[in-house]
Amino acid sequence: MASETIVSFQHVSMQFPGVLANHDVSLDIRKGEVFALVGENGAGKSTLMNILYGMNTPTSGKVFIKDQEMKSFSPSEAISRGVGMVHQHFMLVPSFTVAQNIVLGREPKKSALYDFRKAKAITENLVEEYGLQVNAMDKVADISVGLQQRVEILKTLHRGADILILDEPTAVLTPQETEELFSVIRRIVQEKQMTIIIITHKLYEVMAISDRVGVMRGGKLVAVENTADVNERILASMMVGRDVLLGQLDRNDPDVTDNEPAIVIDDLHVADTRGLPAVRGLNLTLHRGEILGIAGIEGNGQSELIEAITGMRGYTKGSVTINGKSIAGMNAGQVRALGVAHVPEDRLATGVSPAADVTDNLIVGKEKLPRFSLFKTHLKKRAIRQYAREISEKFDIRGAGIDTTVGSLSGGNMQKVVVAREFSFETPVLVISQPTRGVDIGAMEAIHQLIMDKRNAGCAILLVSADLDELYRLSDRLLTIYEGRITGEFTPETIAKTEISYYMTGGQKEAEA
Amino acid sequence: MKNKNNLSYLLSLFIAVSAAFILGGVIMAVSGHDPIEGYTLMFQGALGTQRASANTLAKAATLCLTGLATAIAAHAGIFNVGGEGQLYLGAMASAIVGARLTGVSPWIAVPLCLLAAMLAGGLYAWIPGMLKVKMKVNEVITTIMLNSAAIYFCSFLANGPLKTAEKGVSAGTDSIDPAFMFDRIVRRSSLTESIFLAAVFALFVWYLMKKSSTGFQMKLTGQNERFAKYSGIKAGRLALWSMVASGAICGLVGMFEIFGLHGRFIESVSSEFYFDGMLVAMIMRYNPVGIILMSLFFGAMEIGGAAMELNANIPSSLIVIIQSIIIFFMAAEQGITAAIKARRANRKAARELQKGDAA
Amino acid sequence: MSDLSTIFNIGLLQNTLRTATPVVLAALGCLMTDHVGMTNIGVEGMMLIGAFSAVMGSWVCGSWVMGLVFALAIGLLLGLFYGVFVIKFKSDEFIIGVALNTFAAGATTFLLRTLTGQSGTFHAPEGNLSTLPRLSADWLNKIPVLGELLNNNTLLVYVSWIFVFLCWLMIYRMPVGFWLRASGEHPESLRSAGRSPEKMQYLASLLCGMLSALAGAHLALGYLSTFSENMSNSRGYIAFACVIFGRANPPKVFLAALLFGFIDALGMRLQSVGISSALTSIFPYIGTVLMMVLVVWRTERRKKKLAQ
Repeated sequence: MASETIVSFQHVSMQFPGVLANHDVSLDIRKGEVFALVGENGAGKSTLMNILYGMNTPTSGKVFIKDQEMKSFSPSEAISRGVGMVHQHFMLVPSFTVAQNIVLGREPKKSALYDFRKAKAITENLVEEYGLQVNAMDKVADISVGLQQRVEILKTLHRGADILILDEPTAVLTPQETEELFSVIRRIVQEKQMTIIIITHKLYEVMAISDRVGVMRGGKLVAVENTADVNERILASMMVGRDVLLGQLDRNDPDVTDNEPAIVIDDLHVADTRGLPAVRGLNLTLHRGEILGIAGIEGNGQSELIEAITGMRGYTKGSVTINGKSIAGMNAGQVRALGVAHVPEDRLATGVSPAADVTDNLIVGKEKLPRFSLFKTHLKKRAIRQYAREISEKFDIRGAGIDTTVGSLSGGNMQKVVVAREFSFETPVLVISQPTRGVDIGAMEAIHQLIMDKRNAGCAILLVSADLDELYRLSDRLLTIYEGRITGEFTPETIAKTEISYYMTGGQKEAEA
Repeated sequence: MKNKNNLSYLLSLFIAVSAAFILGGVIMAVSGHDPIEGYTLMFQGALGTQRASANTLAKAATLCLTGLATAIAAHAGIFNVGGEGQLYLGAMASAIVGARLTGVSPWIAVPLCLLAAMLAGGLYAWIPGMLKVKMKVNEVITTIMLNSAAIYFCSFLANGPLKTAEKGVSAGTDSIDPAFMFDRIVRRSSLTESIFLAAVFALFVWYLMKKSSTGFQMKLTGQNERFAKYSGIKAGRLALWSMVASGAICGLVGMFEIFGLHGRFIESVSSEFYFDGMLVAMIMRYNPVGIILMSLFFGAMEIGGAAMELNANIPSSLIVIIQSIIIFFMAAEQGITAAIKARRANRKAARELQKGDAA
Repeated sequence: MSDLSTIFNIGLLQNTLRTATPVVLAALGCLMTDHVGMTNIGVEGMMLIGAFSAVMGSWVCGSWVMGLVFALAIGLLLGLFYGVFVIKFKSDEFIIGVALNTFAAGATTFLLRTLTGQSGTFHAPEGNLSTLPRLSADWLNKIPVLGELLNNNTLLVYVSWIFVFLCWLMIYRMPVGFWLRASGEHPESLRSAGRSPEKMQYLASLLCGMLSALAGAHLALGYLSTFSENMSNSRGYIAFACVIFGRANPPKVFLAALLFGFIDALGMRLQSVGISSALTSIFPYIGTVLMMVLVVWRTERRKKKLAQ
């Protein structure tokens, strides 16, 4: 293989308000290689690639494509240099057809008018040339996610890309579709001499597809290796660098005298926002004094499951019983009244009001308690502020006073606000989703300990996380979820992380729950 | 932090108002009038005599109530542009009830008329509110449409089925019992006893928005509806009720016009009073105290503007121009300060990076 | 009951065309901004200012051509102004729209007073204002009803028909139309295709300004032959309603405008037999609200069907 450098980052840094997303990154990509860029959420992979594609202008540093320096950092500049990018969130116009999306921005014309026939022909030629089957005349809104991704790839190829960036391409794909994608990648690299940069956090994919791998952590590029020289374990430790950092959690046997289950779910069916089935016949039982972890690849019904349990989404069939009461037809407020607190997966959209200050965000749900309002009406501002100060001290919410707007806090502190509020309801049941996503190590450690303390005090905790390490660290029991069903039950001691992913991707085990 | 934000907001407001007035002065000068004289006349016209001050206060009360009506809906995340229609229907309802109850004791009749006006306005606001909450139909457009529908409907009633038989009245309903009318506080001014009621309602809205737990829940609903629902707040119901409250206040304003000045429903009961109040609310970013204060200012401008026209022949529409310029400045300010802040943050970041590299 | 033919006759259709045309032009402007995802309720004010500039242009220069040129130029400025605030300063589009309408009412009234010394309605001191010419073709007169209907309309009536076609052509049959729609539906997809969605938004607001101003020009020089304060009289909102009715598709929006024009014309005629025009005037507004509900209801139903 030629080892000629095609893309070169030189001392690139990118500062967003409040976040240093890339810090002094220097990296050379070689022509005709598959380069994997790995790192955890928020490590700065996507930011770096957005710079290469001209979507972000770096705060400092230079980028060279084919020995020419990037000047304007616009997508049109990147496209003209042969860079194409398939974004994590697809850049497709839903009401346009496949062909119309593929030619968007460089439409074929017949005397100033759009040439529909030519657009179709272009698409069909591309489909044939690269063997990516998709129907040119289908509306993008009507085709599957896997097909939409193909449209994205074809779009970049149509624009003459020979450097292709794929941003977490497999996150939305089934294993079957992932395999197909990989074979396409192999083929176009071999036949068309393309250079592929693939962003991922799945290490087995790195091993399967890449020639070289770069590891990012906290905005820095910490290592670049030949894939043949490393293995998943080495990469994992480079990525997280945390095994040493995280200490042991205090895990006691809680004093749980009643053996009543806190949550019982029987044959639950829940539809997603589009109305398609997301949870399809799910059963589980959560007891007091345990942390029940749910492991699964995102998009397998976890979000809908959590929303159904917490009263934020109705369910179509089955039953959910919390502390002995069915929650059918209840809204979030009514479920909370049964003794449930909820840390949602998306803190910015659901967990806080970014425009409100820390005080307001901490007091929500308690504003009608006698302690904080007279006759449930007149707010006792002084008592509220006093309480907010106490809580933010207790939960160590740093960086700002109680009058700071939550939207300006760092991810970790924002998450602490959510955890502080929910944990201080003192409820017997906690439903927790992605508690440490995008959170720094210190805050992660603190939040883990808080969760464990709740368990030790006898609370029943349902924990959903995309982070296997987190699940292994906290859970007493683990369930795997795939396509809206439970596919297996384990304890962290009895199954290896590599093996559990088999069940997360559709392998079946007779559930004993 | 909070105080700093408020302070910088007040500063930009001050700059916007001053700039708009300077621009207004330039316009006066260019159109051949003496700006100093114009503004002096305006000031005197607004506050120079007892009667002028009374008129200013009356105008301010209307602006304040309509502004608060905008604010209370916006507080819960609904943008009520339909206050004008709600005002008309409130005026019509109170005029009908007022005419029917002729002879009844004012202590019974007036509260009933008040109730009728608030019900009419509130119910009419309920329609777009319901459509927004249940079906996510854009309330800005529906309320604009319902405005015109209500105004035409009232015009139809006043010219048709409910047209009075009294002579010398071109269009309007039967007159209400004079005993029901609010007394004038200052002779020959438009300031009537309704100002006290207006003050009570304004205080109530301020309390509801700023001091009560319900207002707190409304605020969160307006800021992030999903978060409010997640927190167990009945967001939909709150948003709907705030819309109804907004409409009820508009209906009330309509009733004050009828029972304070006109004595019957007439087609010109309001000349876009609601939109004036809405502008005040927008400028003050729906802050109730701000709205109350700014209403006084805008009321003075409008009354003074009329005097300016009378005495110096400067068209009072200049006031409308100045007011809209203030809004343009304030609307731009948000975007501009955000851009400045972002640029400053970036520059600072770049500097720090360089420092770090050097070290 | 008077003879029905005094109401339903060719004059009704002629009136329909005349009342619909300003709405058609304004609606075409409004649908441009709608396609790029901007809800421009400032059309009302743009129309009013357009009407005023057309009359002033025509009066000062003594020619309707200059009236149109004035209106177009001012319309362009208004579009730019709206665009800068909404796109560049990221101001709330409703606030800007409302402020623009207020400003238009104030500015036109003020300028009418100071420039001409008149108030209320403008009367050209030298007698006649140069208004838009009426066009007719002899061969059309040979066709019975159609000839009467299609002949003898003012210039902009025909121009508006051409514009309906051109707008449709631009939006659905030219690359730029695809960019416009993409910038409204998924701006990032257009950006990643190397085109700027902001440029498309500017294009739309400039076109909207010009078309709305032209609508005002027709209102003043083609329809009422004068300028009077607040003469746009909610037609901007009706135009807005047409865009919702016609789902922003030019030919459908045109039909919606004709429908509303018909209702308006019918209302004026019904007045002559003692039925209040106010009552018929309500229909377009209620109709729009019902239409919006219907649209939402339909998409909800489709979603449910998809789920099954």
